Amino acid sequence: MTSDAMLAVEGLDVSFGQLRGRIKVLDGVSFAIAPGEVLGLVGESGSGKSVTALALMALLGEQGRIDAGQILFEGRDLAGLSPAEMLQIRGRAISMIFQEPTTSLNPVLPVGFQIAEVLIAHLGMGRTEALRQAASLMKQVGIPAAAERVGDYPHQMSGGMRQRVMIAMAIACRPRLLIADEPTTALDVTMQAQILRLIKELQTREGMAVLMITHDLGVIARVAHRVAVMYAGQIVESGPVRDIFRQPRHPYTRMLLRSIPRVGRRQTRLRAIAGTTPSAAAMPSACRFHPRCPDAIAICRSQAPALETTEDRQVRCWRADDSGLISQEAG
Amino acid sequence: MSAPLLEVRDLAKSFESGGGLLGRRSGARLQAVRGVSFDLAPGETLGLVGESGCGKTTVARMVVGLIAPSDGRIVFDGVETASAGHVDRAAMRGKVQIVFQDPYTSLNPRLRVAEIIAEPLLNLGVSRQEAQRRVAELMATVGLQPEHMSRFPHAFSGGQRQRIGIARALAPRPRLIVCDEAVSALDVSIQAQILNLLADIQRDFALTLLFISHNLAVVRHLCHRIAVMYLGQIVELAGETQLFEAPLHPYTQALIAAVPEPDPDWAPAVAELAGDLPDPSNPPAGCAFHARCPRAQEDCRQVMPVLRELAPGHHVRCHYPG
Amino acid sequence: MTISAGEEPVEPVAAPALWSARQDFWFRFRHNRNAVIGALLVGFVLAVALTARIFAPYSFSDTSLIDSWTPPSAEHWLGTDSLGRDILSRIMVGCQVSLLLAVTVLAVTLAIGTALGTAAAYLGGWLDTAVMRTADIIFAFPDLILAILLTAVLGSGIVTVMIALSLVSWPGIARLARSLVLSLRTELFVDAAVVAGTPAYKIMLRHLLPNIVAPLIIRASVGVGFVVTGEATLSFLGIGIQEPTPSLGGMIRDGLVALRTDPYLALSASAALAVMIIGFNLLGDGFRDLLDPRIRDR
Repeated sequence: MTSDAMLAVEGLDVSFGQLRGRIKVLDGVSFAIAPGEVLGLVGESGSGKSVTALALMALLGEQGRIDAGQILFEGRDLAGLSPAEMLQIRGRAISMIFQEPTTSLNPVLPVGFQIAEVLIAHLGMGRTEALRQAASLMKQVGIPAAAERVGDYPHQMSGGMRQRVMIAMAIACRPRLLIADEPTTALDVTMQAQILRLIKELQTREGMAVLMITHDLGVIARVAHRVAVMYAGQIVESGPVRDIFRQPRHPYTRMLLRSIPRVGRRQTRLRAIAGTTPSAAAMPSACRFHPRCPDAIAICRSQAPALETTEDRQVRCWRADDSGLISQEAG
Repeated sequence: MSAPLLEVRDLAKSFESGGGLLGRRSGARLQAVRGVSFDLAPGETLGLVGESGCGKTTVARMVVGLIAPSDGRIVFDGVETASAGHVDRAAMRGKVQIVFQDPYTSLNPRLRVAEIIAEPLLNLGVSRQEAQRRVAELMATVGLQPEHMSRFPHAFSGGQRQRIGIARALAPRPRLIVCDEAVSALDVSIQAQILNLLADIQRDFALTLLFISHNLAVVRHLCHRIAVMYLGQIVELAGETQLFEAPLHPYTQALIAAVPEPDPDWAPAVAELAGDLPDPSNPPAGCAFHARCPRAQEDCRQVMPVLRELAPGHHVRCHYPG
Repeated sequence: MTISAGEEPVEPVAAPALWSARQDFWFRFRHNRNAVIGALLVGFVLAVALTARIFAPYSFSDTSLIDSWTPPSAEHWLGTDSLGRDILSRIMVGCQVSLLLAVTVLAVTLAIGTALGTAAAYLGGWLDTAVMRTADIIFAFPDLILAILLTAVLGSGIVTVMIALSLVSWPGIARLARSLVLSLRTELFVDAAVVAGTPAYKIMLRHLLPNIVAPLIIRASVGVGFVVTGEATLSFLGIGIQEPTPSLGGMIRDGLVALRTDPYLALSASAALAVMIIGFNLLGDGFRDLLDPRIRDR
């Protein structure tokens, strides 16, 4: 991929171990993020998007394993690092925020201390200095009366506030890459708008790159520069946000866009995608989307398409360049 | 103008939280619903939309008879089914049903799908044989294969389980189905399938739907009329086109603007809302929304506005709508 | 047909059907050490108990004063006791008696405790208060004192032992059932049953009960050990099972007297008791491992 990419993932294969044998959950996942860029990783449940984030941060757990591929972060392969080396990177150069702020924060420690903990551990700050910095960070992420709320416990804060605390913890050491895994899914829509704006502001101000993982195409459209669409453990399409939304080249992307109801316009009938996402243990042969694709032809059932690159776009489909397809018909 | 199928008048519900053995001083009163009124015409789909803590789920549970109101009345098909402290479930039996949000916990994991769907029928005294026939028919209606009726819920995906839940709701041939965030827990592509299914069954079985959701786009797609709730009250009630094209309440405007459209060139129509939802156990005086409202004036802090009909069919609770 | 054109009926996507649920359970059972050893021990004891009167070499009440206190020999594999009775036969029958009593008590307490606990949790109100306060009172009493008191009132014997042990055991089960149902009754499928018009008793029977069975089974397996010990204690004190019916507790008491010179009675009775209790406890531990959904997640 591009040599100046900050993060370049190449051919990532991840499997999870079970008593009866391993199941492959990610297949040949490849994407890159340039410094200061926001890449949206979009997919439904079972697409493997969260597993990708966990693999990047070496948080797969005992059962998970990277079977193949590289994760090049500023030239270093994260997949080959020892746990101690990874500890240096996590929270410092690469940070992560999760979906559920309720369970990601320690309920028995005040939020200020949890933020300070990050500073003490990674930057070797003293307690007092760290707490002062924590208050400053809480102010930066938009928590009103931050100085007084340093001693608050998570349960004393609303969901939106807790998520802001998480973000404060994540940016404390000024990471170069922030991984956000469904950061607003558990929040109300008015709070979501605020949090997305916050992430965008921080990103522009700090020059931070962001990997935004979500199932919500609206969120992607709002914050991402580029987007990669995942289906059944594979990347099926990627490219600049505007291009993907205006002219999607993969049937799944097209049909996904067409199946979403819009606030701006009432549709008579949604064009749903038939069938369900395949489970990791029972993947269709060849093209993984073929059982649900209205444009599937013989080759789709017999040979798996590879991810083809043209300029700044990639697509994994035999019929990507065809026209007059069913999936292209107006909704 | 036919009589409304459902009439809800001044519905209110308070919960006691805390309390306990040491006394009531720690118990805070949570007013989940504070005076909600609306009508549902037969064959109509009314959307009840709002964010967490607005009371929409509590309203749904009262309509269905799961909890009794603290105040107000509910009249279904001319019969009073709920009033302060009372619920008359017998009057609703079989006529009002519900589809829940979570497809994983709304089906008993120990029962076979056939038993789950047949339950309302057996309660009505239908014979086992007839119930089985009806289960097969219902499964086909919702897009499942009747041969699988002897399987357990864990064999089905989330979307399929939701179909089972819909089949169960349809079984006793109800007149009203309450959908409590029925598609919120589903993947986007499955959501579209289920929304289409709901639209189909409404048409085919002449159903009336009360659709609860936090998702404005979904609500716009499915509903004829929509009520927007904030902190236990309806702040705006209007037809679908009116509400989305010309919302009058500042909260509605902010809510619509906050929904990110899947379109990179879209930008929000109004500035986003600051602040947090207020604590339901300690609602603000005057208008519940004044603390976050861009137009708040002195009287908004003192006096609670009432729901007024500003245009035919368009009700707003605001001192300065528009 | 309401299915829109272009959308076919969806296939149920069964969980990876490599193994059925039953095969899966058996596989994990085989690989769980506690479960296997426990099952073997319990199986052994059960076999002995079931066939006691068939395979016992002698009748348990045949006395022969000449042969009292003989050490293990070809005729008497474990020797004889103070009255010349064959120890092995008495132990076998003693196991049968203990097990029968334990199973009966457990069945009764499971039935009563589950019913009361479930009803208390689901129906609440005065029933809940009544059941729980009664349980608290029984908990407050030391089990043994209660049993002895009952014996004073009802007289000694196997029936009294059963009543006494049932009385002290049901509150524990009721409490467990109650806490399980308390967390279960807020589940959506229970709400669905209410809206479907299902009466309360049916909700308890069809929806609540089947979903609390697993923890109750675990509790029951471990509970057998307690009941057996309780009975042995009462018999040891002389107020439990009466002669000539052999009981392990009684045999330990008899054997204690002659422990220095003829230890075989006390030792073998103790060993038999130990095997039974350890077996059930291990089986209970094994069940807990197998039935705990968190451990089950791969």
